[in-house]
Amino acid sequence: MIGKEEKKMQTITLKLKDSVTSGSAQVPVEADVLTPDQLFGKSEAEIKAVKVWWGNKQENAGDLFDVSVSGDAGSADDVKIVFEGNLKRVKRIGAGMKAGEIEARGDVDMHVGAMMEGGRVVVKGNANCWAGGEMHGGELLIEGDAAANLCAMYRGEEKGMTGGKVTVNGSADELVGQYMAGGEILIKGNADRLAGLNMKGGKITIEGDADIPGADMTGGEITVKGTTEMMPSFKFVETAAVDGAEYKKYLGDFAMGERKAKGTLYVR
Amino acid sequence: MAEITDVVCSLCGCVCDDIVVEVEDNKVTKVKRGACSVGKSKLLGHERIKTPMLRENGELKEVSYDEAIKKAAEILYKSRRPLLYGWSSTVCEADRVGVELAEDLGGVVDNTASVCHGPSVLAIQDVGLPSCTLGEIKNRADLIIYWGANPAAAHANHMKRYSYVSKGFWTAEGKKNKKLVVVDVRQTMTSKMADVFLQIEQGKDYQIFSALRAILRGHGDVVPDNVGGIAKEQLLEVADMVKEAKFGITFFGMGVTHTGARHNNIVNAIQFTRAAHLFGKWSIMPMRGHYNVTGFNQVCCWQTGFPFSVDLTRGYPWYNPGETSSTDLLARGDCDSALIIASDPGAHFPGAALRHLAKIPVIQIDPFANPTTEFADVIIPSTISGIESPGGVYRMDNIPLRLRKILDTDYYIPDEEIVERIMEEVRALRAKEGE
Amino acid sequence: MAAELLIRNGVVYDPINGVKGEKKDIFIRDGKIVESVSNPKVIDAEGRVIMPGGVDIHAHVAGGKVNSGRLMRPEDGRKGIEPKTKVCRVQSGYSVPNTFATGYRYARMGYTFVMEAAMPPLAARHTHEEMIDIPILDNAAMPLIDNNWMTLEYIKSGNTDLLAAYIAWMIKATKGYGVKVVNPGGTEAWAWGKNCNLHDTVPYFDVTPAEIVKGLAEATEKFEMPHSIHVHTNMLGHPGNFEVTTDTYDLVKGIKPYRDRPAMHATHTQFHAYGGTTWKDFESQATHITDYVNANDHVSIDIGSIVLGDTTTMTADGPMEYDLYQITGRKWTNCDVELETGSGITPFLYSGKSPVNTIQWAIGQELALLIKDPWKVALTTDHPNAGPFIGYPIIISMLMSKKRRDELAEDVHKVIFDRTVLPSIDREYDLYEIAIITRGMTAKTLGLAEHGKGHLGVGADADLAIYDMTPEERDAGKIQKAFLNTKYTIKAGEIVVKDGEVVAAPPGKTIFVTPECEQSLMDEMLVTLKDKFDKYYSVTFNNYPVQDAYLPNPYEIKAPMRG
Repeated sequence: MIGKEEKKMQTITLKLKDSVTSGSAQVPVEADVLTPDQLFGKSEAEIKAVKVWWGNKQENAGDLFDVSVSGDAGSADDVKIVFEGNLKRVKRIGAGMKAGEIEARGDVDMHVGAMMEGGRVVVKGNANCWAGGEMHGGELLIEGDAAANLCAMYRGEEKGMTGGKVTVNGSADELVGQYMAGGEILIKGNADRLAGLNMKGGKITIEGDADIPGADMTGGEITVKGTTEMMPSFKFVETAAVDGAEYKKYLGDFAMGERKAKGTLYVR
Repeated sequence: MAEITDVVCSLCGCVCDDIVVEVEDNKVTKVKRGACSVGKSKLLGHERIKTPMLRENGELKEVSYDEAIKKAAEILYKSRRPLLYGWSSTVCEADRVGVELAEDLGGVVDNTASVCHGPSVLAIQDVGLPSCTLGEIKNRADLIIYWGANPAAAHANHMKRYSYVSKGFWTAEGKKNKKLVVVDVRQTMTSKMADVFLQIEQGKDYQIFSALRAILRGHGDVVPDNVGGIAKEQLLEVADMVKEAKFGITFFGMGVTHTGARHNNIVNAIQFTRAAHLFGKWSIMPMRGHYNVTGFNQVCCWQTGFPFSVDLTRGYPWYNPGETSSTDLLARGDCDSALIIASDPGAHFPGAALRHLAKIPVIQIDPFANPTTEFADVIIPSTISGIESPGGVYRMDNIPLRLRKILDTDYYIPDEEIVERIMEEVRALRAKEGE
Repeated sequence: MAAELLIRNGVVYDPINGVKGEKKDIFIRDGKIVESVSNPKVIDAEGRVIMPGGVDIHAHVAGGKVNSGRLMRPEDGRKGIEPKTKVCRVQSGYSVPNTFATGYRYARMGYTFVMEAAMPPLAARHTHEEMIDIPILDNAAMPLIDNNWMTLEYIKSGNTDLLAAYIAWMIKATKGYGVKVVNPGGTEAWAWGKNCNLHDTVPYFDVTPAEIVKGLAEATEKFEMPHSIHVHTNMLGHPGNFEVTTDTYDLVKGIKPYRDRPAMHATHTQFHAYGGTTWKDFESQATHITDYVNANDHVSIDIGSIVLGDTTTMTADGPMEYDLYQITGRKWTNCDVELETGSGITPFLYSGKSPVNTIQWAIGQELALLIKDPWKVALTTDHPNAGPFIGYPIIISMLMSKKRRDELAEDVHKVIFDRTVLPSIDREYDLYEIAIITRGMTAKTLGLAEHGKGHLGVGADADLAIYDMTPEERDAGKIQKAFLNTKYTIKAGEIVVKDGEVVAAPPGKTIFVTPECEQSLMDEMLVTLKDKFDKYYSVTFNNYPVQDAYLPNPYEIKAPMRG
């Protein structure tokens, strides 16, 4: 098109070698060093030499993955990493990422997109626990299901996700968005027990069913479009219309006392 | 014949320490008083593993301690992600060397809490734990709640030493001025003693705690007529008992830690305690199972900063139960070797974890044979802590006591020495490889 | 390790021996300071500042509530993670570091001794087990003896001799160092959910905290105790508590200590110098305390100065911790200990944006700057209550630099100009005075100077710090940096830190006191004590005392009864 500059794009393909998971044990690989912002500017040879933890030893990325690079990048924003192979044993894909794109072709192990600050991660499969854990910004799409603790805080923290946008096309296991303080989560399927536990801010939408959502919430908003197993400590406020459909609006969680019960729950 | 007093029991989390035994010809011939039947049975002794063994081609071969220790070191040294699991039925001295070994190897160190009261620890990390020592309860408590716990069966001396039946300073009349509430999904030996028994629907503890909290905070109006199988009137009655108590205590067990909302049940139980504290003095305590499960958590925590499920493979501690806990690691096939000490995963772990354990080399350190022995590749018998060797332990309320040595052994070696020697061998292998 | 070491060209600050920034050689052999050496390894200090190893008079580093703090706060553990090295074990934690990080970080700051501030006697074994795993530092711990039923009953009956026997037994049984007092009477009241002010009666036991403090001071001084009673006064943290504080100091005015030291050491005084009546009109009353300390010699203090940021509060003042948790709503752990004491733990954030926290932050510095005689003042943060010990260099740089204080006053809440006097204080501490409040005063007040600590006279332990700065340094940032990581730290004659890195981690020793009491008195006390064990304790009398196995490197100080 006239006047439009050709966008630079670099694709780095990392295919996990079969030898990594073919033994009697499947020791996971930790991929936190393999993000667009950390690989940007590296040649193929340099990428192969990046040290990656596999159990208690650091190996060259080139010994764990078949590496190929095509195209050029002007900045980390232009870098796309494609992960292939048996990613069920690759943890921390996109963890802490600041820019660029990652596509994971298959089910992934824990902490995909955890503590992300920017950029976009797409999982073409299911994601294991803590996907999007303590996310700060950016976008995460999980085409399959998400295991427990989606976007939740890590042990002991009083604040979980603070920003960014997460979508799960399938269902999510328990504890979606625990201690959420900001950002948006959309679950197209069902959310198991205790979605939005300890929520203080942000927005969770569940298109399927939810089991005791919003427990101990003190802020934020949860909407459930399917059936809801209710907590016994929420107060009915009124019926409300949201996007043309009728919902019952509740305030909670009164188990925290009136002063703190500032969370909103919309159920059908 | 010699009489030994103040013997400290090495069985359950009660750690009774007023046991009196008679010893003759290097055997405990009589347990005169202080021990429950399970503690007594351990003191009187039973069958044990006779010598170190190696499994070769499916057959067990007797070997020397040196040989077994060397083989154990080789296996662990070569591993990319070894698991060092157990620790709850041995002493802190062994736990300390164990954590050091895990750090040295770059492995994961974990104890039985991860299949037991790990959820309670997770809850404490969310909301803290308002608690006290067991003597406080003995001296002050007038309302005792056992929730998802059956001490009459699992901690036989608990009620008479520490809670309902015991006599203390302001409780000189024992049961007389106390109330006992039991919450469980079915009748038990303990529930039969209760003033109030709440038989709740399986998996509904979470909702019941929230309802009680809402009532205590003056919002009973939002609570529906029935919560988890309990009528609202009964919840209001229990809430009134809570408000009237001068000193209340909730003991909780596996009934709440492993069903329904699991560790969040405990969070909610603690939140219930915090709400109750608006009216009187309230505490809550987990009924820890093994006599030194608490001790390992203490040692691991002061040494690494985290109480169990500590992954040291990257050279620094990463703590994340659910990911770094033993059953999860094994079920996903994470680990390529395992050291099992003072515990019995063979009896307690789920199938998926055991299937993987059977595939990888396993080293067992224990005085007694158990289901784990059936598939261990290296078996190293140790002294019986609290009988043949002394050491530090921590009771369920975190009070440290010291186990005594009451019998001699000229053959068996204490856990801490076995682990220490394995570590020396590992270091020797590393030095040889010139790393 | 060289058996002989010679350190030359250093500028030495050794207040106990009156050495005020003199260029002096230091001779070391077999872990002690000696008069001369023949074939030493030589360290050229190149004009740098040298001080004896730091002696911390009050920090919570080992034991039940410290570990509860660690267990409860994996999110604190997540900060300050350092991988293991050839010399060092793994490190974690910021306000509640693991035991290894504790030893390494103190040593890197040039400290070689720490006093564990509060040991619950029933759990003394736990404190000792953790101290074994703190590398490098020598240590000691003070058992809590002020809310114990035996104490309360002897105070009620007025029997000072039997109370003395009980104190002796307790310090021996716990392998402790001296008598710790925390919220006397109030922590027993807390076992029923209540608290006590100085002249309230403790429920059931019918004595007042004032009587407890006085009685314990009298009983303690019946022995040649190295240290006085060490007191966390009632009403900690409450606006308006400043008068309770000095009223408590008054209680020991007439008591004659066994030696040249105060009759009371009052700890983390910042928390006890609060004016106003509520948090709204809250203000500093540091001047009330400093006027008192300037006019009297029977009390010494440590400042308990705030380090801004997140930390973990933990004390045996159970009711105060409950109140704090009620304000913040954050996680809260409590542990009452039968017949003895209690504890509470909750995280807390000191923010420069908060008017209250700003005033608190100013008070600690006011105390140090307004007390004329530095021999009455020790530098602490009541680690980790007012902040982690790793913040000591920040406080040192503020005390030494008016310029830095003025810069920081711009970053905190402007209430500092109305409700505190800090901005009007010009005084700057010099290195000699810093050496006093971090090693000279503390070793002397603890009674450790004659046991080799806190000075570099011949016969002293060869514990010292070479800071990477010259005496002329005035830049607060450079001073702070120098006090955070030494050029060298030497412990018992061995180089343990070099260029800010730990190069060796030998174990330290545990110092404990053995008070010697007349046997007939002891026997009489034991009848009552054993009865308590039979009826009310949940452990037996014989299983209670700390066994020798828990002190692999013991150092005993005997404390006979005074003639």
